[in-house]
Amino acid sequence: MFRKVLIANRGEIAVRVMRTLREMGIGTVAVYSDADRTSLHVRMADEAEHIGPPPSAESYLRIDRILDAARKHGVEAVHPGYGFLSENADFAAACEDAGLVFIGPSAHSIRAMGSKTAARQTAIAAGTPVVPGTDRSVTVEEAHRFAKTHGYPILLKAVAGGGGKGMRRVDREADLDAAFRDAASEAERSFKSPEIYVEKLVEKPRHIEIQLLGDRHGNMVHLGERECSIQRRHQKVMEECPSPLVALHPEMRQAMGEAAIRAARAAAYYNAGTVEFLVDREGRFYFLEMNTRLQVEHPVTELVTGLDLVKLQVEIAAGERLPFEQNEVAWRGWAFECRIYAEDPFNGFLPYPGKLTRLTRPLGPGIRLDACVYDGWTVPMEYDPLLAKLAVWAATREEAAARLLRALREYDVGGIRTNIGFFRQIVEDDEFRAGRLHTGFIEEFFARREPPVPPPDFAAVAALAAALHTAARNGTGSANGVPGNAWREAGRNELLR
Amino acid sequence: MKFHLVLNGKPGRIEILAPAPECRFRIDQEPSREAQVEIPEPGVYSILMKGRSYDARVEETANGLVVVIDGFRFEAEVTDPRRWVRSSGGKGGKGVQSMVAPMPGKVVRVLVSPGEEVAAGQGIAVVEAMKMQNELKAARAGRVLTVTAREGATVAAGDVLATIE
Repeated sequence: MFRKVLIANRGEIAVRVMRTLREMGIGTVAVYSDADRTSLHVRMADEAEHIGPPPSAESYLRIDRILDAARKHGVEAVHPGYGFLSENADFAAACEDAGLVFIGPSAHSIRAMGSKTAARQTAIAAGTPVVPGTDRSVTVEEAHRFAKTHGYPILLKAVAGGGGKGMRRVDREADLDAAFRDAASEAERSFKSPEIYVEKLVEKPRHIEIQLLGDRHGNMVHLGERECSIQRRHQKVMEECPSPLVALHPEMRQAMGEAAIRAARAAAYYNAGTVEFLVDREGRFYFLEMNTRLQVEHPVTELVTGLDLVKLQVEIAAGERLPFEQNEVAWRGWAFECRIYAEDPFNGFLPYPGKLTRLTRPLGPGIRLDACVYDGWTVPMEYDPLLAKLAVWAATREEAAARLLRALREYDVGGIRTNIGFFRQIVEDDEFRAGRLHTGFIEEFFARREPPVPPPDFAAVAALAAALHTAARNGTGSANGVPGNAWREAGRNELLR
Repeated sequence: MKFHLVLNGKPGRIEILAPAPECRFRIDQEPSREAQVEIPEPGVYSILMKGRSYDARVEETANGLVVVIDGFRFEAEVTDPRRWVRSSGGKGGKGVQSMVAPMPGKVVRVLVSPGEEVAAGQGIAVVEAMKMQNELKAARAGRVLTVTAREGATVAAGDVLATIE
């Protein structure tokens, strides 16, 4: 086993990885930019090395500086976390060239699954279902034939496209010719290429993904699914295991698990990885992409399977065999995770960096908190504003939701805005409680949401607290903050009347 | 001690009749109430009232105070009429709108200059935080009085970037 590992990341995931390394008796080396000198991952590590100024391109994305740090501190392996260099095949290759073990898949596997188009080809070759599409530019006649085969609605997309330009939804045959013309001319204007391809439109899809784990001896298992349909700006904010849909149709887990393993095997995959699927309302699933790294939301799988994915990643990287087989994987109970961000959900999810002035963490039964924050820490404005991941476990979905609500009520962060209150409203939403999830959930939630009304007396208590606080601040205040001078002054004023 | 109070936009008065910990207070013309108040942590008021327990967390912001009770947020502006000391900075004079940064970040672009006429909804400045750029827009039409935002400068939430008459 390794004696010392460098974590090429920051924030909560660096802290998460260090916790397991410490439990395994492995030394930890942190790297940090100027913005992170006082961040928790630096404070927690055994050793730390500065790698540059705040912008990631000059620090956390600098392969040369990270490898220099690894050499200087004499580490044997590098854990990339998620984001930054974790899915960079050149980094994986550079580690191996430098005689370091990259705790993840091979550079070859990362490349095979790296781009969406390469991954789609790999999946098709492996017989894993993908969203039906033409994968190349078509004529309007070919678009008609595609729609006849796969049915409406369909989506016309610009081959050279992006950002929704040259994209048209078509619901019936009568609209196809006009939509095709519009899409092609918009594509021509935007990208100087009128080429259009066609895809089947999956309406109100769920996002369900399969966690995989494979060793370097050809063994691979799946650890079941996670449902990640609750997203804002196409980014997951809340995840759960199992998926409410899969819980109703248990055969889906095996079918999706096997499809995911087929796709990963086609890329000669090992270590931890995740295959993401879109699932339509009939329960049909389609390969979306593969994440060749540890996922942000891995804790819900850990809570339900009882496994430590980081420990397994490290053991696999050290050449060990998977310590169990597929039929030994068991799923028990239900877990949720909320990504606690420094942002204002009621103001377009605007990021809200700044200094934490107060922090109370939820504790007690069934709570897991992966965080990088402490009271007095300033959330840097240079990076993703993820503060913490709050995960809960309970025997059933209903109990887990009640526990999550309880934990969110205990969670208090002062000085900055967070999405904690937003999650409370989601957990109390009827559609959420019923498990009727899809990737447009948050937009629909905003449309139907009624802002919660505070119970009676809350306003009076708030007024009292505000008045006492002002009195204490205007006066010098006594030891316990109760108004001192201001109070005496008020008495004098009364006498002068 | 009497205070003028604007709580979530609603004006009123609060009078403290007896100090903490055995506190008595009156809001507007309502009957007086009793509350037992302790301050276990700075800025945290543990208030027992009519047998119920409340943790009120008070935060000072650029626009006044924010009180959070069980996740409910109350924005409070408290003024002591005897002192005429505002508990916070203000919103500027009549007819002048201050464009304040809604979040901390870096000014990446300033889109107007002093003296310029702007239309309602016109972009004033672009502030970037956590890789997201946000354009601040004028709430109504007017003439730009001052521009304090400088490209490349770091700003805190509530910092005035420009004023419009």
